[in-house]
Amino acid sequence: MTINDVAKVLNGKVLFKEEGRDRHVGAVVASDLMSDVLLVDADDMLLLTSLASDQALRTAQIVGAMGVVVHNDKPLPATMQDVARRLGISLVTAPYAKYESCVRIHAAIERDKRGETL
Amino acid sequence: MSDPAPNTEPDKAASSGIPVGGETSPLVIMELIQRLKIRDVMTRNLVTLTREDTMRRAQELMRIGHFNGVPIAENGRLYGIVSIDDIIRALIGGYIDDTCAKHMSTHLIVLEDDMPISFALRYFENYKYGRFPVLSRDRALVGIVSQRDINRVLLYELTAEINRLERQITRPPEDGIGDDLYMLREYPVVRHDFENAGKAANEIKRLLRERNVDTRVTRRIAVAAYELEINICIHSHGGTLAMIVSKGVAEIVAKDTGPGIEDVEWACQDGTSTANDWIRSLGFGAGMGLANSKRVSDHFEIKSALDKGTTIRCKFDLRGPAPQQEPSP
Repeated sequence: MTINDVAKVLNGKVLFKEEGRDRHVGAVVASDLMSDVLLVDADDMLLLTSLASDQALRTAQIVGAMGVVVHNDKPLPATMQDVARRLGISLVTAPYAKYESCVRIHAAIERDKRGETL
Repeated sequence: MSDPAPNTEPDKAASSGIPVGGETSPLVIMELIQRLKIRDVMTRNLVTLTREDTMRRAQELMRIGHFNGVPIAENGRLYGIVSIDDIIRALIGGYIDDTCAKHMSTHLIVLEDDMPISFALRYFENYKYGRFPVLSRDRALVGIVSQRDINRVLLYELTAEINRLERQITRPPEDGIGDDLYMLREYPVVRHDFENAGKAANEIKRLLRERNVDTRVTRRIAVAAYELEINICIHSHGGTLAMIVSKGVAEIVAKDTGPGIEDVEWACQDGTSTANDWIRSLGFGAGMGLANSKRVSDHFEIKSALDKGTTIRCKFDLRGPAPQQEPSP
């Protein structure tokens, strides 16, 4: 499941996509506390967060996340897209609340495992 | 060399008392002031008068050239110096048209051109004159040296030396890891500067990745760096975050200027935080910072004193296995 797939599942918008090969979601973490995110030792993490700040991206870069989704169509600071570009972290905004997004992503992952369309 | 003449007025601009060349001077400066000779810094284009020239002529030269003394020399041999004070006395005494020979100072402090400038510095400090005539080994007048001459050349040489030292400190390391990898970086961290908080940790991770450090070790180092950087930003008056890589070990050093931690043991526990609601609304203040840093490090050390500040050191073996990390709740 790539970042484009995530945006499609969440009816969201890709504001920046990491260059190079398409990375696939390895794990999903939903959190607004960045220290909790740092605790998770997983490759290619997809971070779902309500935190509309550059810090979400900086944390994502630290843990090697494959992308960040910001919920509730929150307006993002002007710098956030630029920071995403500089750090090379894919950034998506989505209209749903965090719980709804988690459920949708989980369902999509399960369909993907079964070989069904997302 | 002769003793100072009692009627020679010291130049008030001389000797700032700067402690250069003393016991506590850096080695680089000691080497410079020994290596540089007076002939390397002195002024060679001299304006001189003969013994038969008048004091009025000396006054005119000083006025046009903006200097405070004129050497009296013939055929390269130094006979004396007429200073600005000699001129003032001549004007007051009404003998401005007398020859220089009658009123010049003959007891002179001189330097030799192959002496190190450390000698000149000592002379400026001890004798309080603005300049000294410079003689060659065979006692010919070859130049004049002022404190400004020394400052100009020292500044130039020190700039070159500092550039060389800076290049050494920040030189790109060899490819790969192991004992050959050397890096030193230090970043300022400003209190409550959330716009830039985490930038240093991001940079540290990028540097390690570029040098092919193991991805697992890089991640642990980056997590520690990030947590410590955010801590400085949130909880302290400001400080620095440094990374030192040498001989297969990476060290992250977080240092702040206060306020210090009252109970270090309590602060290192999971979930303990002094952050307020505003800080938590920004995504911080979970109380995991120190605990996380400790968890990912091979060696963790914290020192703190109230009103003085805190220093935290996290060490990582670039070659060793990772410590066991607890999964998230």
